[in-house]
Amino acid sequence: MPNSRENLLPAVDPAYCKGCARCIDACLHNCIEMGNEINPLTGLTPVILHLEDCTHCGLCVTACPEPYGLHMDSITDDYSAVRPETFDGVVKTRPKAASIPSTKIPINPGKPILIKGTYASSIGAVLAGCRHFYGYPITPSTEGAELMAKLLPNLDGIFIQAVSEVAAINMLYGTGGAGLPCMTFTSSPGFSLMLEGISYMIGSEVPSVIVNIMRGGPGLGNIAPEQSDLKLVCHGLGHGNTQCVVLAPATPQEMLDLTMLAFELTFKYRNPVIIIGDGYLGQITGKVSLPDYMIQPGLPDWAVYGDAGHRGNLIASIDITEPDLEARNIRLNHKYDTMIKAEQRSDSFFCEDAEILLVAMNTPAQMAKGAVQQLRSEGIKVGLFRPITAWPFPVDALSKLIPQIRQIVVVEASNGQLEDEIRLSLSKAGVTQLPPISFVRRFGGILPQTHEIVEKIHALEGVVA
Amino acid sequence: MSAFYNTFERHSHGEGLKGHSTHYCPGCGHGLAHKFLAESIDELGIQDRTIAISPVGCSVFLYYYMDVGNSQAAHGRAPAVAIGHKMANPNSIVVSYQGDGDLASIGLAEIISAAQMGLPISVIFVNNAIYGMTGGQMAPTTLKGMKTMTSPYGRNENMGSPLKMAELIAQMDSPIYVERVALFDSKQRIRAKKAIKKALQIQVENKGFSFVEVLAECPTHLHLSPTEAQDWVKNSMLPVFPLGVKKDVEPTHIFSFEKPSFESGKLLALIGATAEDVPKFANSFPKHIDPLDISLKLAGSGGDGAQTAALLITRTAINEGFDSTHIPSYGPESRGGTSYADVHIAEMEVLSPSAPDPHILIAFNQPSMDKFAPKVRENGIIIGDSTVIHSMPAIDPTVKVVMVPMSAIATELGKIMVKNVVALGALQAATGLFPEQSFLTAIQQGLKDKKELFPLNVEAFHRGMEAALKSEKI
Repeated sequence: MPNSRENLLPAVDPAYCKGCARCIDACLHNCIEMGNEINPLTGLTPVILHLEDCTHCGLCVTACPEPYGLHMDSITDDYSAVRPETFDGVVKTRPKAASIPSTKIPINPGKPILIKGTYASSIGAVLAGCRHFYGYPITPSTEGAELMAKLLPNLDGIFIQAVSEVAAINMLYGTGGAGLPCMTFTSSPGFSLMLEGISYMIGSEVPSVIVNIMRGGPGLGNIAPEQSDLKLVCHGLGHGNTQCVVLAPATPQEMLDLTMLAFELTFKYRNPVIIIGDGYLGQITGKVSLPDYMIQPGLPDWAVYGDAGHRGNLIASIDITEPDLEARNIRLNHKYDTMIKAEQRSDSFFCEDAEILLVAMNTPAQMAKGAVQQLRSEGIKVGLFRPITAWPFPVDALSKLIPQIRQIVVVEASNGQLEDEIRLSLSKAGVTQLPPISFVRRFGGILPQTHEIVEKIHALEGVVA
Repeated sequence: MSAFYNTFERHSHGEGLKGHSTHYCPGCGHGLAHKFLAESIDELGIQDRTIAISPVGCSVFLYYYMDVGNSQAAHGRAPAVAIGHKMANPNSIVVSYQGDGDLASIGLAEIISAAQMGLPISVIFVNNAIYGMTGGQMAPTTLKGMKTMTSPYGRNENMGSPLKMAELIAQMDSPIYVERVALFDSKQRIRAKKAIKKALQIQVENKGFSFVEVLAECPTHLHLSPTEAQDWVKNSMLPVFPLGVKKDVEPTHIFSFEKPSFESGKLLALIGATAEDVPKFANSFPKHIDPLDISLKLAGSGGDGAQTAALLITRTAINEGFDSTHIPSYGPESRGGTSYADVHIAEMEVLSPSAPDPHILIAFNQPSMDKFAPKVRENGIIIGDSTVIHSMPAIDPTVKVVMVPMSAIATELGKIMVKNVVALGALQAATGLFPEQSFLTAIQQGLKDKKELFPLNVEAFHRGMEAALKSEKI
């Protein structure tokens, strides 16, 4: 029995002994004493072993806090010669998992269904393969969570009502980190609480879909629609250098379509995707056509899934040395640049010959569309530019329109946050010759109405109805 | 054997001594807790399945050492992250490893709720009575009178008392196993190792939530030698944090989770998708009301059925192949207060979904009539419940008013709830919005789970139609 206990004795490489002396205290036979020489490699004073009276009990090893400190080894004359790599004679290797791609399963979409905006988003999520939902109830987003609570148990999925939005976003961090599609619904105050977690997700490159049905603020505000989280989703996703693709649907149909897109993009970029709606869009019931496919998710190679193939993986956003963290930021920046190039989305309505350009998102864009229709019937050359991605802002499409436009009117349920995005992105794109920009703004839970937009255009100089 | 990496590549890229030694100070209790965890993982044969959640605090770098799946959580959030991992793969063995600042201060909500949720995860809680990583500040577990960087004159009455987490967790219903152990001598270390292994074993058996509090030494911030720190834990911490098993019960059930379903038929049935054709009855868009887009407002008290009626109109319009939207007013007063709904019907696409100046108003009570009737646009139509509405505000002279005793008819039919269907009948007769059969089809769809109520609804609808034709303006 070459490795029976009697043949083993404690051993330590002085370089891996920090001299804490816990082993001295543990030894019943006074075999160990503090050394008196500082180890030049560590600057610490390791213990010295005198094993004449050693009973091979191993208590000293149990007392050593260092993984590669004191250990039991074959009896040799040189107690300190054993290198850590050979402690157990086994070099651990692991099979590396390959990414399993998601699969598209064809379905018969049937007739359009009649559902609320939040429901449409939930249904988009389950069609996109999401079987994990974590959330905290908050009006006006709760119905989406309620539908998930109803659907997921029937699909052997997981619905958990977390103790807070903070816990909910961190559950997403866990499931997203395990490589599976997951989502939450929230509304502005809850979204504020999630920002810390979103920053961690971006830093750790964890996918997840977060739907923020924006409501009136600041503070508790009210539960009516607003669009004042635009600055958060475009420039304030928690601390650090953070960006996410932000999708801004305008109809229940888009709530479904863009939720499905969000799941695709969140895995494409290994980055969370935010969907912003307004309270109106969450509550509105409308006609929604289903797609002709659904998704069965795969499993990415980077996931921390809890099996042999993924054992070596790490989900973390910490880089304690500065060059490492700079490298991580550079990698993230490349990703953001790719998103800026590839993910700008927008919709144009009567823009071809427009001289006056309305810019609006979410439900206010529908109000603006109504205004365009009315003003066009009066012969006024007005069009609507609707960003579908709030970030990256669809500046390429907007800049092309600028030369023909003599007036921009920004329609929004916030005090100029959309206008700021327009000005900033045009400025960054080098568009210096801007037409005058005016606005129709409501806030506090009130959306700009079609007639207000029409009146604004009528009042513009040089507009003749 | 143990579940440590061969070389700690993540510890300064494994260079020099760091490849095989920890970042912990000499004598730190974390090293021992790590070691017992690593040995337990190995002995239970769960290394491939294990996911260790690193917290924020001195043990933030747990992932340097443990050769398992690793996930690093925000401060205090490790139990939530652990639940996310466990639910993603219930076959994984998830360990939330946390210090006293992480678990007992900033992460209290997460640990308490995770414990009471009771899902099978294992929590290792290292309590050394002080904040280590940030440099020796007061922890929730700091002893009374103890001097720290943020209690330089000692923890006094204004700073509260040390928080006894093991006792707190043990008194909850869901946890299966809670024990407090220590590391200050050989006997305690053997017990600590056993406890950690048991906590994992319980998870392997899908029994539930387990929690091991480890009293650990922080020689650096206690300003003691490692062996003095051991004595300090024994002599000063133990009287406040008594060791032992705080809870060890058999679970009431064994957790089991099915693999999520991606069966398309099941999913489509769940979301109410149907390929069934719905018959159309309208020949064209009701252009006599508006050529493009018709708006309606339905207003009453909560319980009048305004929302249901609005949805039925929307469904009718969509069945007929048009676009339609419904948006409720909503709020904290969603039960019993004012309830109104805006409906749009468009030949192609509904643009603005709100109805500030509707073509058609259905008013179920006097306040709704007073509030919204003046906003009905020229040549519009108002339908009111004459049982409860006795006066009209000033309205546009071109607006037609149709008063129908909705409540009286519904009461006569023995079910006040059909008042809104009476209103729909009146709407059909007064406006010709869609044919009678269109509405009845939508009502039938709405009652697919309560088929026995359909005849009553048909009667209510017809009574509404008749009454509208006989109506007189008030």
